[in-house]
Amino acid sequence: MRIPSLFVAVCLVAATPGFGLAAGFNPEMTKYVQGLETQAKKQESSFKGFDAARGKKLFFDAQPNAKSGPLSCATCHTSDLKKSGKTLVGKVIPPLAPSANKSRLTNVKETEKWLLRNFKQVYGREGTAREKGDVLMFINAQ
Amino acid sequence: MNSLSKMPISALFAVIFSSVVTAHGGGSELMGGATNSAYLKECGACHLAYQPQFLPKRSWEKVMNTLDSHFGDSAALDDALKSEILGYLVKNSADASSSKISRKMLASLGTAETPLKISDTPYFKRKHREVRADVFKRKSIGSPANCTACHLSADKGDYDEHKVKIPRK
Ligand code: HEC
Ligand code: HEC
Ligand code: HEC
Repeated sequence: MRIPSLFVAVCLVAATPGFGLAAGFNPEMTKYVQGLETQAKKQESSFKGFDAARGKKLFFDAQPNAKSGPLSCATCHTSDLKKSGKTLVGKVIPPLAPSANKSRLTNVKETEKWLLRNFKQVYGREGTAREKGDVLMFINAQ
Repeated sequence: MNSLSKMPISALFAVIFSSVVTAHGGGSELMGGATNSAYLKECGACHLAYQPQFLPKRSWEKVMNTLDSHFGDSAALDDALKSEILGYLVKNSADASSSKISRKMLASLGTAETPLKISDTPYFKRKHREVRADVFKRKSIGSPANCTACHLSADKGDYDEHKVKIPRK
């Protein structure tokens, strides 16, 4: 069973140039997202590519949080990613949208560090490769 | 909007005022802002990069050794960054500082106490005894840890009580 589905996936990738990669990532980030893609394919046989719509849902889905009350990515980054947000301690966070803040999603180390921390804080666990790719597609399109 | 538009003006006053103080040789009253660039970047993302002079060496060691679970957040760092930042914090900690605030802070702590928070110390509580608990909970303040909400130039180490401005909402 495994070999055919892997084969189909590989064909799909080959047939779709730039599959899953939105325009605008720099080479370093492109490589990172491709790595996430490879991982996602291994982890989920039904994976067909990253999806900004799923990323959006993940971004806005509030989770119960004993300390802060319902918490989502939008709690700190606001629901308009082109605007500045605020941490729970009240410090301003410059906009997350690359269209409003050129330095966003340009540095793999920075992106990885914050995705790890922020997923743990909102979802209480690390994000999966698919979730990280989905949400990066969503953010990058803002 | 109102309080925002006032900020640059008060910041300007702070600059003028602090240069006057320095000119008169009273500069040790002001701690200055934190300086180490790794510290400012890594420890200044979620809140003010608190001046190291506020806590003793033993507190900074404890804070830096528990970053995985940092007040309900993860602030974990790789080992190289961690040791650089800890080095900076220890070198400028209250034990190593001659500022008035550091001396008062140390005097207010028993030697057995290792506070993780500036806002948990007897010195902080004494200085803020006139600020009611519900004031710290106001929407634009949120927490005692949000020093900058009331001390507009906290990032420059200016906590002068005459310049405090408590947001009304
Ligand atoms: C408790 C507040 C908080 C929450 C909740 C939060 N973030 Fe963040 N996020 C931050 C802070 C603080 C930074 C770093 C400050 C900065 O870069 O301006 C950051 C940075 C980021 C970055 C780094 C961007 C870059 O390249 O510079 C990404 C990506 C990100 N967050 C995504 C998310 C996602 C996805 C979620 C939900 C799973 C989320 N955040 C939830 C506070 C939060
Ligand atoms: C991911 C976000 C985040 C990062 C990064 C972070 N902190 Fe914090 N920090 C918090 C939160 C949340 C609190 C609790 C604030 C409150 O009580 O409202 C806090 C509180 C503190 C306090 C106590 C403040 C008080 O009330 O007196 C100290 C000291 C502190 N942090 C030091 C550090 C140091 C040192 C670093 C860098 C190694 C760091 N923090 C990085 C989120 C962060
Ligand atoms: C809700 C507003 C508010 C917040 C938040 C706040 N302070 Fe204050 N702080 C005050 C007020 C008001 C005073 C002056 C009390 C007085 O007049 O005696 C003060 C006084 C002080 C003083 C004494 C200054 C002097 O001249 O003696 C220090 C030091 C100080 N605060 C540090 C901090 C630090 C550090 C933080 C964050 C960890 C903080 N404050 C958060 C309102 C605040």
